[in-house]
Amino acid sequence: MRIQPFDYWAAPGLNEALNELDLHGADATVIAGGTDLVLNMKKKNILPRRVISLHNLNELDFVLTDESLDNDSVRIGALSKHADLAENPFLKQHFPILCEAVGLIGSWQIRNVGTIGGNICNASPAADSAPPLLVLDAQLVLASKKGEKKISLESFFTGPGATVLEPDQILKEIVIELPKQPSAGCYMKLRRRKAVDVSLAGVAFQAETGPDRKTLAKVGIALGGVAPTPVRVPEAEALLAGRTLDEAVTKISDCAEIAAKAASPIDDVRATASYRRTIINVFIQRCAQNVLNTLKNSGGD
Amino acid sequence: MLVPINIIVNGEEYHLKVKPNQILLDVLREDLGLTGSKQGCGLGKCGACTVLLNGKPVHSCLILAPYADGKEIVTIEGIAGEEPHPLQTAFAEKGAVQCGFCTPGMINAAKALLDDNPEPSEAEIKLAIAGNLCRCTGYNQIVSAIQSCAPSNSDIQTEKRGKSNE
Ligand SMILES: Cc1cc2nc3c(=O)[nH]c(=O)nc-3n(C[C@H](O)[C@H](O)[C@H](O)COP(=O)(O)OP(=O)(O)OC[C@H]3O[C@@H](n4cnc5c(N)ncnc54)[C@H](O)[C@@H]3O)c2cc1C
Ligand code: FES
Ligand code: FES
Repeated sequence: MRIQPFDYWAAPGLNEALNELDLHGADATVIAGGTDLVLNMKKKNILPRRVISLHNLNELDFVLTDESLDNDSVRIGALSKHADLAENPFLKQHFPILCEAVGLIGSWQIRNVGTIGGNICNASPAADSAPPLLVLDAQLVLASKKGEKKISLESFFTGPGATVLEPDQILKEIVIELPKQPSAGCYMKLRRRKAVDVSLAGVAFQAETGPDRKTLAKVGIALGGVAPTPVRVPEAEALLAGRTLDEAVTKISDCAEIAAKAASPIDDVRATASYRRTIINVFIQRCAQNVLNTLKNSGGD
Repeated sequence: MLVPINIIVNGEEYHLKVKPNQILLDVLREDLGLTGSKQGCGLGKCGACTVLLNGKPVHSCLILAPYADGKEIVTIEGIAGEEPHPLQTAFAEKGAVQCGFCTPGMINAAKALLDDNPEPSEAEIKLAIAGNLCRCTGYNQIVSAIQSCAPSNSDIQTEKRGKSNE
């Protein structure tokens, strides 16, 4: 399993990386932790001529809060490793769904090296960070020598392994607004082996109440591994949004059915499409139940 | 093309020139002769190649050698002091080693766990070694060997488990 030779350069900083990509982006591949890329090079799926490593960009390994008048947000650097994010106290408090999901990626060894930026940019339909970030309405900051651009994660993926990222751009950071009212989320994934295997299907469910703490102001439902990209399911969200917590509970099974119908899973050696659809249905019910309970206990007096 | 890297392996400093397409595992085994780390799958799935990079377990089969530049590496050869590491003794005593192919990686993962969390629960142990496959022992002996290394675990418990295994 030899890897084909390539030219290599480790960028000492972000500006240097962007300069180099400006000159050579079109025939270079960037590498962060390499857990996807090295595997793909070993399997000869990707044969880069030139590799630019971002692993020294400590300036992109951070979790920071931005406080502004109307919307506080958290910024996560693209080079942050899954193991650190899973244990980050601030994220655990505000976005436990994200910590749960990245804590389920691969094994401890993979989480110590793999980055959240790599997970997103690799654009696997089953990337575990994607469904939680989708339901949290995450924004991505893409950087190039020409400047920075902010886009929604939802508009980033274009197909399996494909994104809107230009050859001279890198993902710099992920921005998520902090919830203003009580919120809760839950992520569940199906895989064959407990560790290591990528998911066969993943479900993220996130909800936030209104100021009354009894009505669902926002509901986010997203699926991984059952469509060409990770996807949100607005039809299923709409069924619950605006309802009281008590009403919403009675609609969970309808909601799960709609979401399972919206999925377009495939048959492959690991699982059949109909099994994946069934699992989506079950996971949505469990996630919703869990989230609504949490909100009921935390809010409604 | 060669890339200069400076790494500390088991306490010793090395200034090497590596090919960028060289895998850290190959540098350790072939260039430094440290053959304790094993290649099982080469794909990040079995954990036989687990080494500690700045104290954290990683799959050295998926790491390009230049990534290790400036970092400290511990392989199974560097685990023991004058005496074997308590994990090594416990693994031997509890039948946690059969063919031994998984053992270097397993012990490295376990060491990183205990360094960080000296009193892990059984669930925490299982989570820490979830990336390490063992095709021989059935894992129970491995988990109990790691458990027996927790400082609070008195020798009484060690003995009890030792006996029930015989
Ligand atoms: C054994 C094994 C198990 C795995 N299990 C899971 C799992 O359970 N769930 C899961 O979701 N994934 C899993 N993965 C996939 C992988 O570990 C993750 O996707 C990881 O987050 C990738 O991050 P990285 O830093 O290693 O990416 P790299 O391999 O360095 O990069 C991946 C891709 O993203 C690009 N890229 C990386 N960073 C940037 C950036 N900042 N800007 C622009 N482009 C960038 C690279 O060019 C490359 O195309 C597994 C992989 C292995 C080998
Ligand atoms: S050889 Fe590295 S994980 Fe199997
Ligand atoms: S002892 Fe043989 S694989 Fe673990």
